[in-house]
Amino acid sequence: MKSYLALLRGSYMVGLVYRFGFLFSIAGNIIYMSVTYFLWHSIYHGRETMHGLTFDQTYIYVALGSAVFILLKTYVDWQMSYDIREGMIASYLIKPIDLQLYELFMSFGYFLMSLSAITIPTILLLIFVFRVEIPLGVGLLIFPFSLIMAYLINFCFDYFVGLLGFYTESVWGLSITKEIIITVLSGALIPLQFFPDAIQKILLWLPFQAIYYTPLTMVAQPTLGWDTFLPMLGIQLFWVAALFGLTRLFYNQAIRVLRISGG
Amino acid sequence: MHSLTDYIRLYFVIETQYIKARMQYRADFIISSIGMFFSSLATLGVFWVIFSSIPDLAGWTFLQLVFIYGFYMIAISPMQILFDNIWQIRFHVLQGTFLKYYFRPLNMMFYYMSEVFDLKGLTQLAAGIILLIYTSIQLHIDWTLARVALLIVTLFSASLVQISITLMAGCAAFWVLDSYPVLGLAWKLREFAPYPMNIFDGAFRFTFTYIIPLGFIAFYPSQLFLQPQQVSPLIYFSPIVGIGLFALTYWIWTLGVNSYTGTGS
Repeated sequence: MKSYLALLRGSYMVGLVYRFGFLFSIAGNIIYMSVTYFLWHSIYHGRETMHGLTFDQTYIYVALGSAVFILLKTYVDWQMSYDIREGMIASYLIKPIDLQLYELFMSFGYFLMSLSAITIPTILLLIFVFRVEIPLGVGLLIFPFSLIMAYLINFCFDYFVGLLGFYTESVWGLSITKEIIITVLSGALIPLQFFPDAIQKILLWLPFQAIYYTPLTMVAQPTLGWDTFLPMLGIQLFWVAALFGLTRLFYNQAIRVLRISGG
Repeated sequence: MHSLTDYIRLYFVIETQYIKARMQYRADFIISSIGMFFSSLATLGVFWVIFSSIPDLAGWTFLQLVFIYGFYMIAISPMQILFDNIWQIRFHVLQGTFLKYYFRPLNMMFYYMSEVFDLKGLTQLAAGIILLIYTSIQLHIDWTLARVALLIVTLFSASLVQISITLMAGCAAFWVLDSYPVLGLAWKLREFAPYPMNIFDGAFRFTFTYIIPLGFIAFYPSQLFLQPQQVSPLIYFSPIVGIGLFALTYWIWTLGVNSYTGTGS
């Protein structure tokens, strides 16, 4: 465990080098939040509620969504693809560490980095500059736990694509496809309530909604209560366990085809 | 000095070889094209979901927005296909490999950009063309000769605007350690280009028209075909905006290239 914590600390420090980048990420977020404000303002067009959501609730949802989006970027797939191409993956495989946990802790350092440098400033901006009122409720309390589980689920998808890199030359196409599927089907851009009913029902059965829809709902509608939130957390927990197990099984398959050149 | 025809001939020679080399990785090409196709459709999916709840967005129908989006996809394709090497500037600068581009009797930007011809961008171009044709049939747009000419001119200028914004961001690599965040911001901004500009209030509309002219990538030119009676006179400046912006970008590129001193290996 101690060695994994060292990895975590290391990757956090590496993240610090790119302080300059955070300014641009925050600037990008401010512009995005403004643009979505105007967009959703035009969509609501004076309506009180749409699909049971007020304008404020929807806006908190989508604006926070953009901050969470940056937070959940693990870059594990890109990093693994790079390490495979350069042959560096070999040096991880001969060490007495587990590849899945290695990648998880490496990326989790970046998670903590972006949390403190991008997501928290964005939330402060949302409250103090955009003057969005986030109602107090039990949802806010469990949001951090839900966010970490969302991170773990998202990590599994990235790690899975990273493992696919054992088979193909580059993962560009796979990564982009994965990202689009998650962004659209998870409710990262639009709350799931806006989807047509039939599609909504299907989406709730898929793991993607546990990445964005679940944590974002906890902040947008924090007063929904335990009856709603407990099952949501349970579903997240289920997907974390299932996807961690599945990617471990897949690793055993993929490792057989790995050929390393150079290094 | 080389003439323009020399350069065009040379470009074909270089890219033929490049495509031959890329075709060794056929599976990669197919997967990337599929990825490109999906990523093009994502915004359409968002529009579709939004329009399942509302009849129009600030006076624009779903089909009209799809038309604007099709225009947008065609307009950003030249950057994707011909200028994709923008993303690598930062690596070449950081690792010192940028030096090799100084040693050819060719225009440096030409030589540098000719190194990559992004095949998967062709999927985006094709999807854009299909959307534009489909929506113009549905919307009964009458393609007179004058309109087709207008389409070509506005698409040309829109492409230049898109290339310029991205290339300017890429050039940041000559001055800062890591230009990725700057490029990321430019990339994110690009996604706002297909939205109707009339949803924004004064300050933002001003910014997206005069400072970062995203409006010229898709919205203003599309207005010419969708609402010819309400066109703002601004659109007639679009060739000037495109060419002017590209000239500015070329100047920044030259400054960057001249200030680059290489790195130790």
